[in-house]
Amino acid sequence: MNNVVKGIILYVVGWAAFHYGLFPQMQPKEFSWVANRYVYFLLFVAYCIGFNLVLKLKPPIALNGLVVWLIGLYFYKAVLYPPIPWTLLITYMMLWTIGTFLYISQDPVTFAEFRKPIVKTVIGEYKMARYIVFIALPVLVGFGTYKSLEPRFEEPVELRTVHPAPPATTKVHGKSYTLEGLQNPFRTDEQDNYKDSFPFLDADSQEYMKSVTEGGTIFFENCHYCHGDQLNGLGMFSHVFNPTPANFVDPGTIAMLRESFLFWRVSKGGPGLPNESTPWSSAMPPWEEHLKTEEIWKVILFEYWYTGWHPRTFDEESSAAGGEE
Amino acid sequence: MLTEPRKTVRHFLVALAVTLIVGLPSTLLAQEAQRPDPVLEDKLELGKKTYFKRCVWCHGVEGGGDGPSADRLFTRPRNFIQGTFKIRWTDSGELPLDRNLIDTVKNGLPGSAMPPWGEVLSDDEITSVVQFVKTLVQDRDFNDEDEEVYVQNFGKNPWGTSGPYHLGVPQEAIDQGKEIMVQNKCFECHGGEGRGDGNPTMKDDWGFPIFAADWTQCWNFRGSRRNHYDPFNVVRTVSTGLNGTPMPNFKDKITIEDRWKLAAFVNSLCPRKKIDKLTNKPIPDFLIQSRFTVGPVSTDMNDPMWQAPDDDPNIKSRPSDYTGKKDQKWHYIAMAGQITRGQRNFKPKVDNLWVMSNWSEEEQAVYYLVEFHNRFLSIDPAYPDGVAMQWPGQLEELYGAEKPYFIYGDAKKPVDIWKANFMVKDYSDTNAPNPNGYDLDVSVKELVGRGFDAVSEKETLGGVEIVNSKYHQGRVKIMFKRSLVTENPDKTDVQIPTQTFIPVSFLQWSGWDKEHDEHMAISTWYYTILVPDNPASMFYMPPILGVAFFGFQMWLVWMTKRTRRMAAEGKVK
Repeated sequence: MNNVVKGIILYVVGWAAFHYGLFPQMQPKEFSWVANRYVYFLLFVAYCIGFNLVLKLKPPIALNGLVVWLIGLYFYKAVLYPPIPWTLLITYMMLWTIGTFLYISQDPVTFAEFRKPIVKTVIGEYKMARYIVFIALPVLVGFGTYKSLEPRFEEPVELRTVHPAPPATTKVHGKSYTLEGLQNPFRTDEQDNYKDSFPFLDADSQEYMKSVTEGGTIFFENCHYCHGDQLNGLGMFSHVFNPTPANFVDPGTIAMLRESFLFWRVSKGGPGLPNESTPWSSAMPPWEEHLKTEEIWKVILFEYWYTGWHPRTFDEESSAAGGEE
Repeated sequence: MLTEPRKTVRHFLVALAVTLIVGLPSTLLAQEAQRPDPVLEDKLELGKKTYFKRCVWCHGVEGGGDGPSADRLFTRPRNFIQGTFKIRWTDSGELPLDRNLIDTVKNGLPGSAMPPWGEVLSDDEITSVVQFVKTLVQDRDFNDEDEEVYVQNFGKNPWGTSGPYHLGVPQEAIDQGKEIMVQNKCFECHGGEGRGDGNPTMKDDWGFPIFAADWTQCWNFRGSRRNHYDPFNVVRTVSTGLNGTPMPNFKDKITIEDRWKLAAFVNSLCPRKKIDKLTNKPIPDFLIQSRFTVGPVSTDMNDPMWQAPDDDPNIKSRPSDYTGKKDQKWHYIAMAGQITRGQRNFKPKVDNLWVMSNWSEEEQAVYYLVEFHNRFLSIDPAYPDGVAMQWPGQLEELYGAEKPYFIYGDAKKPVDIWKANFMVKDYSDTNAPNPNGYDLDVSVKELVGRGFDAVSEKETLGGVEIVNSKYHQGRVKIMFKRSLVTENPDKTDVQIPTQTFIPVSFLQWSGWDKEHDEHMAISTWYYTILVPDNPASMFYMPPILGVAFFGFQMWLVWMTKRTRRMAAEGKVK
């Protein structure tokens, strides 16, 4: 059998065996230094080089170039984790294509060898290949033109600022508050002391848990529809709204904000957002219309207790300055 | 504390024991009486902690289904005290197996507020909280000597279909399933076409109102285990009934083979859509494409122009006799209660709309067919049903992504609201299924919203018409029409350009539930676009470029040959 055909068969069969057989085995749930996707990839490359050396196939440079290019594509598309967006994939593959071309044209001999099958196709020494290429490519060009002229519309992408800069002061229920240094009046103790306390059970004996229980009660009367029973932003109405409701479990929301920021956001809701945060789409109510000031503080206390996050705090100087005016 | 390997061994032993205790009898010794799974006392401490952090908010301190959230939920959280659990493998009225409760906790109950806990709690916490919930049952006792359960054998999927979409059930089985449905009078509660519109008077065991499932929205089936299209879910529910609800079991009335066919029929009614794994709802179609027509648009809803299957064509290919437009489709619009301002609506009865659109070059008009399922419509003229489309009133003034506030606009950016109020003619909510459907008595209102408290009727109308409407077996269909441009003296009518993304949103009122004004269901802003006709260049450019490319190839051949000839003659190297 022709060495080229033999090589192609071994590549295809080997890839299928590796990809469908070994790859799933090499991705255990927990990370391991041996069984992971990159070791798998090295094994696959070793296999590709190995069988060519062992069987002394000496593949033509055109086949080598093709294989090198495809292995790069395989790595970026299937092996690399987390998956990359397609724009990045195209950038990487362009670099990889240039690299492959450098490999092919490393010296005039290999480049001539690489060129040979192409030239033979062009001048008609490979008759079949010539017919196929010369008919298929113009048809493909025509089809591509047709597709690109067809009017197609994708939903426009809209960007928004998730945590806009808060104002210096905010007025809630007729009182003005300076946000810098503003503290939660119900955070009367270190939160971590209540890790093993429970709402309702400990509400009578611990003042702090009483506030948490009351905050949770308000949360589950008002907020869980969007922010979810698990505070993960997946409440029963959450899929309806765009932007989707905030996920408090995520380290990018309340974990990196101050309680005074939350107080401003909860009180003023969607309509109180600046323009860059697309206030017109936010379903967040201005809660001052529905809740009392202390209820808002209690909900905030509950959200931190439930998720276990700590609010960002102020240095002593600004703590002294802030609060109710 | 157990060390990690010993813990693993213990988990394995527990799993093995559970498999032996539960698995063996349920498969080999089907329908043998057995004791319910006793309460595992050593799990109760962790179970109680988990319950009082995670569950108490809805299910209450004593498990009475009366937590803080309960009064604002439809359906209400389950009351554990009587030991009635919906999702079981045991006979009607019996206690559930541990694995049934674990399944429910892990996967949640779609269509209700019960979320899936499988990704939030550890397996140990879930097993433990289930044990604690079992101790909240007061009227019965899982450790009682006299309690018996019969674990049912549901057989296997006879067609071997697989998830997520379970396509490929033979049409014959589906048709037989439909006959079985009729024979067993499922329509008395579930309605003539399965939209749950059969019986408005049902109550659960605790006297709270309850509705039959809408079969055409299987993503809301309780106990669908995040595998919405699997007929097994229906087989289980039909076989075991739903304890605490009017849903009986049909174990002895329908053979297991026929129950699978019935399930195949029920599942065939549910449109195949891509389901969001996080929210367990279909992914909304955020761009509503209005299709181009040269001549007038038909106002007949049965015209091929308005035909498109409910299924996503990428999942289930269109039938071979499909005569509608190539790209026409139903767009799924997600709805929720208006819970932002004023009188909030925590219990909306409609959670999605389906929209299709065509526009006519000749008429210079656009048509929107809005469809939604509502089990019962208003019989009280003081509270008519309603559905509305909301547009930016001054589209040309908006810059970039800017829009009016999504509930009734704001002072600077008014909204233009096309509202259809309607009452059904000759209708009563207790009527038997009526295959002919009902005509609607529709009146159009054109409103201007300049803020939440500033909604008024327009002084000069923009000429919105309802050109067709129907209420048919639990489904409302309303066709809106308006000309693209209006005279617009007050600058409140949206002027509709083609090929432009136009924000649009939807509002809906269920008169049966006395919804009115801001007490309604809403969607967020969607976009619509009037798709232009295919350009003529689409037909002449491809051959031109193809031929040009062929010419380029010929030039390449000529060049290559020339170079080779020159090389052969020694002119170049």
